Amino acid sequence: MDKKILEISDLKKKYNSKFCLDVNNLYAEKGKILTIIGPNGSGKSTLIRLINLLERPDEGKIYFNSHEITNGEVSQTEVRKKMAVVFQEPLLFNTSVYTNIIMGLRIRKIKLSGIKDRIDYFTGKLKITDLLNRSTKNLSGGEKQRVSLARALVLDPELLLLDEPLANIDQSSRESLREDLFGVLRGYGKSVVYVTHDRNEAMMLADNIAVMDRGKILQFAGKEEIFRKPVNEFIARFVGVETLVDGVILERKGNVCKVGVTARKSNIEVSVVSQERRGTRVTLAIRPEDVILYSTEISSKESSAMNLFKGKITEIRDIGIFKRIEIDCGFPLSSFVTQNSVNRLKLALGKEITAAVKASSIHMFKR
Amino acid sequence: MEIIWQGIKQAIILIFTGNREVYEILFLTLRVSGSAVFFSILLGIPVGVLVGLNKFPLKKFIIAVINTGMGLPPVAAGLIVTLFIWRSGMLGFLKLMYTPTAMVIAQVLIASPIIAGITLAAVQQIDPKLRQQVLSLGANRFQVYWILIREARLPALAAVMAGFGGIISEVGAVIMVGGNIKGETRVLTTATVQMVRMGNFDMAIALVVILLAITFGVNFLLTLVQQKEGIGWIRRF
Repeated sequence: MDKKILEISDLKKKYNSKFCLDVNNLYAEKGKILTIIGPNGSGKSTLIRLINLLERPDEGKIYFNSHEITNGEVSQTEVRKKMAVVFQEPLLFNTSVYTNIIMGLRIRKIKLSGIKDRIDYFTGKLKITDLLNRSTKNLSGGEKQRVSLARALVLDPELLLLDEPLANIDQSSRESLREDLFGVLRGYGKSVVYVTHDRNEAMMLADNIAVMDRGKILQFAGKEEIFRKPVNEFIARFVGVETLVDGVILERKGNVCKVGVTARKSNIEVSVVSQERRGTRVTLAIRPEDVILYSTEISSKESSAMNLFKGKITEIRDIGIFKRIEIDCGFPLSSFVTQNSVNRLKLALGKEITAAVKASSIHMFKR
Repeated sequence: MEIIWQGIKQAIILIFTGNREVYEILFLTLRVSGSAVFFSILLGIPVGVLVGLNKFPLKKFIIAVINTGMGLPPVAAGLIVTLFIWRSGMLGFLKLMYTPTAMVIAQVLIASPIIAGITLAAVQQIDPKLRQQVLSLGANRFQVYWILIREARLPALAAVMAGFGGIISEVGAVIMVGGNIKGETRVLTTATVQMVRMGNFDMAIALVVILLAITFGVNFLLTLVQQKEGIGWIRRF
């Protein structure tokens, strides 16, 4: 049996005056969550509408359960009945919450008697059981989106498409809705495509991630790989890499490369685990949580695969539970540490410090 | 002033003593305008929905025609119908001239563009995204129309009120195609004209009071329905 519920090949669609959606290869696996992540205007919503056959592609094919659905031979309505979409806006009907929730069931002529448990389960999980008899007019934005989500979930679709369901919700109710929704999706076991511009949402939820920008898929891989091995600067920034420095591979011994980085005063050599060839021009990506700070001198002999950078602290900034420390070690390097570490290491502006980064923690991609 | 009070008193007497002529006129009026509204809804709402929700060539032209129809003077409607059903007209063989059926046809011609026009505007007001949502729930074409017209039910009811108001109060068309024949095609408006001409003001006032009462009653009922939360969403479709 094919593991892919949805497969897209060479799909093209002009979606505004500037950009054209151009997706060569993207698929969603059965029972897994694919998140499509990218900034606003990257074509994510267009892609969702194409999958749901609400728009026609200019070129290319979409397969659902290995059957092509874009050739005009299959009934659009029948295809849509196997999916469910939740859009950015709740788009409710002007009637009671309950009638909204069962709207899709009515349309699909699914008997309510057999699925009472399902309705109870999802309305319970989304905490809207008390609202069922209310009119949708007087609900808050968050409550409306809960209703919209329930309306899609009770359909038990083969493929659930969520198009930034949390993007339009105000901050205060977003947190709790996210918690409840993700609670549902984690134990869901169904195929989901989740579109978002929020990398935290993507990281929390995804099995696989596709990063989009300007209509194109920049990288499509498992969550870990996107997180650890972004293929370019855009994705690196997107997944939270703070330090990006350019360099050239000077030599390779085994699977460790020595990369020469042009720093302000002198050249710095950085060890990176990689199989790239000598002479390749690369960009190094260092995640702030992989940078460990020491206030005392430590020996670089401690580990051959450990890079040590000396420098002065140029900035200390609060970013929630962590402090972001910026060190000038020829190039700017940032590190996340806890308040506890700040106290223990007596970190302060201008203090000389040693930063350690494992060679295996540094990722690099070609320039 | 005296004559008005006298008239209202007379009207009340006429209404509550069961004056046969008054009741005949009342029932015929309700029958004619009721049927006309019924057929106008049947015609106007689907036309409004189809034109409002679909893209097709000449759409703007069709909308302009409907909008013109909304302001169609009753005498014009009467004349058009007369030309068709006149003895030598295209439908002359049906012998509809001076019958209640002819009056219904003329009134449908007046009310259906009003209902179509308001419905059209109402469904165009609906967020296009809501339509996509309905489609993505798996709705076929018919279900989409049905759900969206129910979403626009409040303005649609206003359309029905406007249509009803337009025809129950008009006199030009019904007098032309109906002929105001006593006991056969005489309705409240034409009877009022007749009574005024004859100087029978008591009767005229009585008829107008009844006319106003009906108009108020029907609109009051529809308003109640319109203003009630969530009504109109019948569970089945």
